[in-house]
Amino acid sequence: MDIAIVDARGWQNTLDLETGEKASVSGPAVEIVQGVLRRHPYPGDMDRGSNRWVSDTAIDLIEAYNPRFVFLTYAAQYFAGRYVPMTGEERSRMIADAFLEAQRFVDRTGFAAIAVGTGNMTPRKGAIDATAIDGLAICTHWSTRYAGLYDPSPADLALLRSHPHIESIVPREEVMTLFGGTPGQAARVPQYLMLAREGYTFKTAGVLMKTPVMIPSVNSAIPLYAPGRTVEAITGIRAILEEELAEKNVALIFMEGVGCDEFAWPFTPCRNGTRWWHYEPSEAQYLTISSGRHRFLDYPTGYKDFEEEDASKLYPFSGYFKAIPEDTFGSHFPGRSISVGNKSMFMHMVAGADISIECFARNLYNQGTMAVIHRQDKI
Amino acid sequence: MRCNYCERRCRIASGETGFCRMYTVSQGVITERFPHRWSACGTSRMEAFPFYHVFPGSRSLAIGTTSCNFRCRYCSNAYIAKEDPESQQERMYHLAPREVVAMAKKMSCRTIVFNVNEPTVSLPSLMDLAAEAKAAGIPMGCLTNGFMTAESTELMASIFSFFNVSLKGISKTFGREYIGASSLRPVLRNIERLAGIRHVEVTTPVIEGANDTEIDAIADFLGSVDPEIPWHVFRLLPEDEMRDRDYPSIEAIDAALRSARERLPYLYFHNFVGSDWVNTACPACGTVAIERFSLGCGGDKLNRVLGGEGQCPGCGRAIRLFTHSPHAGDEGAVRTWT
Repeated sequence: MDIAIVDARGWQNTLDLETGEKASVSGPAVEIVQGVLRRHPYPGDMDRGSNRWVSDTAIDLIEAYNPRFVFLTYAAQYFAGRYVPMTGEERSRMIADAFLEAQRFVDRTGFAAIAVGTGNMTPRKGAIDATAIDGLAICTHWSTRYAGLYDPSPADLALLRSHPHIESIVPREEVMTLFGGTPGQAARVPQYLMLAREGYTFKTAGVLMKTPVMIPSVNSAIPLYAPGRTVEAITGIRAILEEELAEKNVALIFMEGVGCDEFAWPFTPCRNGTRWWHYEPSEAQYLTISSGRHRFLDYPTGYKDFEEEDASKLYPFSGYFKAIPEDTFGSHFPGRSISVGNKSMFMHMVAGADISIECFARNLYNQGTMAVIHRQDKI
Repeated sequence: MRCNYCERRCRIASGETGFCRMYTVSQGVITERFPHRWSACGTSRMEAFPFYHVFPGSRSLAIGTTSCNFRCRYCSNAYIAKEDPESQQERMYHLAPREVVAMAKKMSCRTIVFNVNEPTVSLPSLMDLAAEAKAAGIPMGCLTNGFMTAESTELMASIFSFFNVSLKGISKTFGREYIGASSLRPVLRNIERLAGIRHVEVTTPVIEGANDTEIDAIADFLGSVDPEIPWHVFRLLPEDEMRDRDYPSIEAIDAALRSARERLPYLYFHNFVGSDWVNTACPACGTVAIERFSLGCGGDKLNRVLGGEGQCPGCGRAIRLFTHSPHAGDEGAVRTWT
């Protein structure tokens, strides 16, 4: 059983990750995690101490669990950059602080760092209003460049295809040709996938009123810090991890919302997608890096997520995931592994580490922290 | 002119605005400034609002506008409720009533619920929407602070089939210091009225050191109106001007609710992950009739309804549920403002 331990500040619960039912479990891994959660309350996505929480929590967990592989995400600069207007100087300082925090972790633990920036951000220029159409347009999980389109009328298609800020409208068949996949996966892919031009967001049903000031750029390449190594595309990062871990302890560090323009460490660019598809900072991008193959179909953007939101849905703490993704790096690594991150509740799904600790926050509301124990048998 | 939508009863000069900045005077009439502009238009689970006793497990179209007639120090939607509404219009959805209802149908929503801010600040648009929704057989509900005039209460009862009224406190001191309202008596009056004619649930966010001493008084009031009113006690999430406050103690609030639980069978304590107090038990025999799961900020969800819908699986007693068409048993017309 995969165990979730939720800490709502002064209130801890141990639950079955799959069903959400209370679980009566004990053991050294559970005790370690309970203690770490108690000692490290999450300060909030927009708090200046948010990235420090990642390092401090990871260091504490390393001291207790002694892992060989660590998967970290620093995301405070992504949330702040997305919503808080700031000068170039303020943004530079914020990103420098994020790298200092990652460096502090490396210096303190001695882990060899391999770092990825998930992509540049760009000022938002405007929105493409796709609400008053005959069909239905859907944006999911903070996506800005991509939106799904369902049952469009000929008039809808004519209108949207002529929109100056829409780059293209791709039919489902073409998406499936690009990514392959099963008929079951195809059923979740929208009838059409709409692509916005850089700087523009889609406005569809379900979009948050909190309008971003910066959104992800169209990142055809993202930076990779891996001393002495290069890869052509993000699907090659997993092989580097495997090779490095044969010799030393490794930390795979994600710097959210930082691309080739602002990455503070020496890097080589690597391709961030395939053909016309470029990943946004998202679960799909993390899964692709973690598993070494493209994973758009696990969690396709623009799908009708609300149709799966019923009482029968499993994994209540895992967003729209309905099952634990296969082939994640941590799930195959035989040594001990952990992940810690402040980009909401999905680290436990994309890293596959023995123990994951993440903030329990949604849309910037801070409810505490959550740990997931996938493996208790390595201790 | 006086604006009589809410109990502030602002005096508004021609071309000016009142407290909420959502109404003005135009040609001698109180007029809505931003009709049919919506800050939200997306799906939500019914339990997430929360409505625990309305179409359990169903999908709803959640809508809202901007602004509020309160100024709560702990507002969780301050960026919508406290900002100047004029500055937000560019970001809003511009959807006519027909388009909102079409959106609800496209996403297979059973109901439409106004939940982001206070509906009293947008009543003319909601009247228009209710007429369209009613024609489509879609009931509407709302979350409200209950601080509307008696006239608006009647109007809202013609718009909405179910309500969740936020009864934030009872004392004058709390109202003044935390809400910015001189008295909360109108809220009590409106709960009494609405509970007699519509399905009503009540929510109270608890702030330690501010309104936790009023829990028993609130329970007494609800018990006097209708002991079977579902009451949601929320652990307050420190936000906005109170973001530096400690998170309230769950154990302390739970202890403070013990006496109330003996009087109010549908008392829930949540807004934090993994709450133990989100199931519905039969008021007669205590058998669990509806199981839920609390995801805190992710919204609560239905696990399962046991037995027949609206019936205790143990003794067969009726469990209060609203599962009607709009205003069942009522002529159903949306009133016009007079």
